[in-house]
Amino acid sequence: MKDQLTMSCINLYAVLQNMENLVELDRDAKLLIENAEIAIQFAVRGGPAALLSFENGRCRLQKGKGRSNISLYFTSPEHLNKMFGGKANPIPLKGLTKTGFLKNEFTKLTDRLTYYLKPTDELLKNPEYLRINTILTANTAFFALAEIGNNDVLGRLNAGRIPDGDINVSILGEGPSLHLKARKGRLEAVKGASSAPRAIMSFADIEAANGMLNGKVDAYTCIASGTIQMKGFLPMLDHMNKLLSQVPEYLK
Amino acid sequence: MNTYSYEKNQEQFMRALKVIPTGIYGHLGPVEGCFIPTSAYPFFSQRANGAYFWDVDGNRFIDYMCAYGPNILGYNDEDVDAAAAEQAKAGNCTTAPSSIVIDLAELMVDTVAMADWTFFAKNGGDVTSFALMVAKAATGRKKTILVKGNYHGVAPWTQKLGYPGIAAEDVSNNFYVDWNNYDQVENIVKEHPGEIACFMSTPYYHPVFADNELPAPGYWQKIRKLCTDNGIVLAIDDVRCGFRLDMAGSDHYFGFKADLMCFCKAIANGWNVSALCGTDALRDAVSSIMYTGSYWLSAVPFAAGIACIKKLKELNAPQMLIKNGRKLTEGLVDTAKNHGYKLTVTGVPSMWYMRLTEDDSLMLHQEWVAECVKRGAFFTNHHNLFMCCAITDEDISHTLDIADEAFKVLRKRPPTTINSVI
Repeated sequence: MKDQLTMSCINLYAVLQNMENLVELDRDAKLLIENAEIAIQFAVRGGPAALLSFENGRCRLQKGKGRSNISLYFTSPEHLNKMFGGKANPIPLKGLTKTGFLKNEFTKLTDRLTYYLKPTDELLKNPEYLRINTILTANTAFFALAEIGNNDVLGRLNAGRIPDGDINVSILGEGPSLHLKARKGRLEAVKGASSAPRAIMSFADIEAANGMLNGKVDAYTCIASGTIQMKGFLPMLDHMNKLLSQVPEYLK
Repeated sequence: MNTYSYEKNQEQFMRALKVIPTGIYGHLGPVEGCFIPTSAYPFFSQRANGAYFWDVDGNRFIDYMCAYGPNILGYNDEDVDAAAAEQAKAGNCTTAPSSIVIDLAELMVDTVAMADWTFFAKNGGDVTSFALMVAKAATGRKKTILVKGNYHGVAPWTQKLGYPGIAAEDVSNNFYVDWNNYDQVENIVKEHPGEIACFMSTPYYHPVFADNELPAPGYWQKIRKLCTDNGIVLAIDDVRCGFRLDMAGSDHYFGFKADLMCFCKAIANGWNVSALCGTDALRDAVSSIMYTGSYWLSAVPFAAGIACIKKLKELNAPQMLIKNGRKLTEGLVDTAKNHGYKLTVTGVPSMWYMRLTEDDSLMLHQEWVAECVKRGAFFTNHHNLFMCCAITDEDISHTLDIADEAFKVLRKRPPTTINSVI
């Protein structure tokens, strides 16, 4: 069952964080923010907070609160989730004169993000689209996985069973990587590879990663057929995979 | 030494993936984390004999998994298979069961020290689940104390909340304690007076991915007394250890008497039968429960079981397996040492667990095991291994040669890296 607090954390820390990569990977997105100097504070009563900053052509999402030009307030996790579903508006507390950025550039950025996160078979035939879709989908899935492990009732049980250490998730060769830090039952997803992983999950190639992340082939078949390879302290991966199987429940 | 390739295995596996979820499900398949990397392992066997099996590519393996335990005498044992063939001519799955069921029950009662009766089923999980039902029926209670990390099968009560297909109600009557921690058991019993039906455990701690641990001195004797004093049924899951430690049962080996004992793997050398043995005090509870299956009274496995147990007794199999297991594991430890590695061996030598230490990721161990498998010594990475009676000194010697070469390969290899091809 979808938990609203978990969903709000996923929306901020897993979905919105993709802006960081989007403006690096997508030329249109990069152009949209090349002159932007703005920081947007998202604050949820009884829920998460995040600061989304655009500066020097780059984007950064930080957990918590910081110095902002625009502050958007949500009365509850459910309120934030409705906004992400296009069914509610935030309460602007600060930056009323800057709402132009929200209505124009930011809306276009979210459209670009949606474009990459909602693939079609036709779009996936384009190798560059497939590459960006894979990176953004992987980020979304594994950052969401961490939030499920930290917040969802069943997710916390499986997160608590992951022994301490770093899990690298990567695409073999020169493909992108991320890693999951597990410490005493708390999880943190981090972009890039850990230098000292205790367990590794690697995809044979970007097509294999894309197929699994987009639900075209299940993870167990990938493991069985060798398109996903695992090594190291397998109980970490076993429980991470149980969390991964909860992700579609939140992101479908 | 040549290394194996697995083209036909892969072909068959691709066929299987189309029509069987994960190709090979469960512990014999590649998704349960015991075949790392999967590319080092065969998937399908073509035939088996004695201590060996041959895969579909024709590669021969000295099998130290023994089908995860059932192969105790050696594959295709002539005496066991002859007894099974003879019974098959007479009848197998019949409306009125063959009286051979009584013969095997009598043999079990004569063999297992604590047993006053025997109840047959098919798999280990059938009898561990039945043991809980018996305990609940006998006590009128519903709670069970289990040891964290122990494996008792795949029924919902044996799994964990948060696992696919498991509801909170499936595990809501379970308490979990650490192995060898008597105080935790005692505290739960004190905090829940009159609620605990059963304490169930394997006779010693043999989980996957962890060094195995024998019971601390006095542990089982204290548990026995606690259970007796509080009307709790003491059930031992001897599915894996049964007849590899002691023909009289693993409770006998560790010097205590269980109320219920679950057997399976070593009863019939691969023919499918499991057994719950119990004391007279629980006979009425067993009788009161409707519990059965379509093939549970089939006669052929009973004939195989009789032949197998008799032969195990003649060979003094547990002693033989422990002796040979010790010979092999001491050799493996020495071989590792010769190459500058430390191999830790735990558990009872007839079903030992091993790992290369100084690497808590276990990747080094996985690489060494993979090199052994590709040269014909079938080990899994993180499950206890098994000895069978057909393993000879020559097999052990050859295994040590394989281990030696695998260590040489390991020593020459650069350290594993994030993007290394596994």
